[in-house]
Amino acid sequence: MPLIIKKNSEPFFRDERKRNRDCCSLLEGLADPDPTTRRWAARDCIDCLGAAAALVGRLKVEQDISVREVIFTTLTRMGDPLAVAGLVAFLRSEDPALRNEAIEAMKQLPDEMAPILRNLLADADPDVRIFAVNILESLRHPQVEAWLLAVIDNDLHINVCSTAVDLLCEVGTEAALEPLARLKARFADEPYIQFATALALARIGQA
Amino acid sequence: MTEPTIKAEEFQKFREFFYRKTGIRYETSNRYFVDKRILERIVATKSGDFRSYFTLLRFQASGEELQQLTNRMTVNETYFLREEFQFQCLVNSLLPEIIIRKTDNTPIRIWSIPSSSGEEPYSIAMYLLERWPGINDWDVEIISSDIDTGILRKARIGRYSSRAVQYVPALWMRKYFKPVEDEYQICDDLREAVEFTQVNLAATADTRSYRDFDVIFCRNLLIYFDDLSRKAAAETFYDALKPGGYICLGHSESMSRISSLYQVRNFVEAILYQKPLEAR
Repeated sequence: MPLIIKKNSEPFFRDERKRNRDCCSLLEGLADPDPTTRRWAARDCIDCLGAAAALVGRLKVEQDISVREVIFTTLTRMGDPLAVAGLVAFLRSEDPALRNEAIEAMKQLPDEMAPILRNLLADADPDVRIFAVNILESLRHPQVEAWLLAVIDNDLHINVCSTAVDLLCEVGTEAALEPLARLKARFADEPYIQFATALALARIGQA
Repeated sequence: MTEPTIKAEEFQKFREFFYRKTGIRYETSNRYFVDKRILERIVATKSGDFRSYFTLLRFQASGEELQQLTNRMTVNETYFLREEFQFQCLVNSLLPEIIIRKTDNTPIRIWSIPSSSGEEPYSIAMYLLERWPGINDWDVEIISSDIDTGILRKARIGRYSSRAVQYVPALWMRKYFKPVEDEYQICDDLREAVEFTQVNLAATADTRSYRDFDVIFCRNLLIYFDDLSRKAAAETFYDALKPGGYICLGHSESMSRISSLYQVRNFVEAILYQKPLEAR
């Protein structure tokens, strides 16, 4: 049988690394002109002291989407207070892509986000509060409903409450019925709140 | 002597450790499967109880016991020509695109991960020989990897049950297999055509040298990973692929839900994912 498939005609274990793998070189590699080098530096610096700050700093200027994705993955895998603080800071970014990527990363960190979510949901900036509700969307944490109920009972901003009600439609239980009714009464003149709370009440009631 | 048992908090501790090491996460609903295998290893290593076994697992310098356990924890059920439409896509759509783009005579490189006991990479090899005329003009390297060293040994040996080969055409059976007792032995030419290697997809040190692939088959593996590990795997594959390279996932898996790095390609035979041609 003429077999033309060749077994390993050239070694495929080629070491193409341009830099040493010590932390200093890796952090320098984050600014290399070659995106492949930057991706590998971002992936390999996970155990380096000070890497979270360097990665967050790089994200502010990084234009290559593939490098950004790897940086966000590394920050999420780190999940330490510095990495989390860096991700949280991007909630105030003017770059929507960066902001959304940070929100997606934070959704993966339920235990790390839990201690700071209450503060984010009480932030002075209503946009940050909305983004905090967005994080709750797929955060696997038992407090999600309780946090949302606190939002609809206390937040004065209609858009924040609307975002929370939309999510309660999916995750709300009987515990949400009374807070939803209170919200409906609090924003009696707001058609969207009337519509969204009616929908949430109906869905939870049918469940 | 009482039989060892695994408490809920021990299961929790184990699954966090195992996830960190392999990227594979088990839910509470998998407890029977997980407990059974840990208990077997507690007995086999004469550890006596979970606590001693977990110490061995964590601190053994060679990592041999972690590998033994990993081998038992990974599911290796597959068969030849599974999801054949993707092999049709390979020979009818992908390879013609690849050779049009090629500017040198280096081999076309295909990575099949996980290899399991070899059914997928050998299916690819047979498909190329039987269904792709270009095999007369181009060299193809097939590299196939798995985390499980035991299953890699089986893959290299290449002996299969009748169930594993049930969808292989009779002509191909005669050409590539030899009956041995109640099993089927794959021929040496095919065995030599596939390079089997051990790779833990969650370990960057393992995957760093895997580069310049034209096609990656990674089917029904990522379903065992959680979201973060899936995303990390997608990024690893991105660096393993050439610009314009393709990745084939299992029919229930979607790269669009994992990462935005790839372009969706809707071929006649299958939906696949492509690293952008302009990517670096």
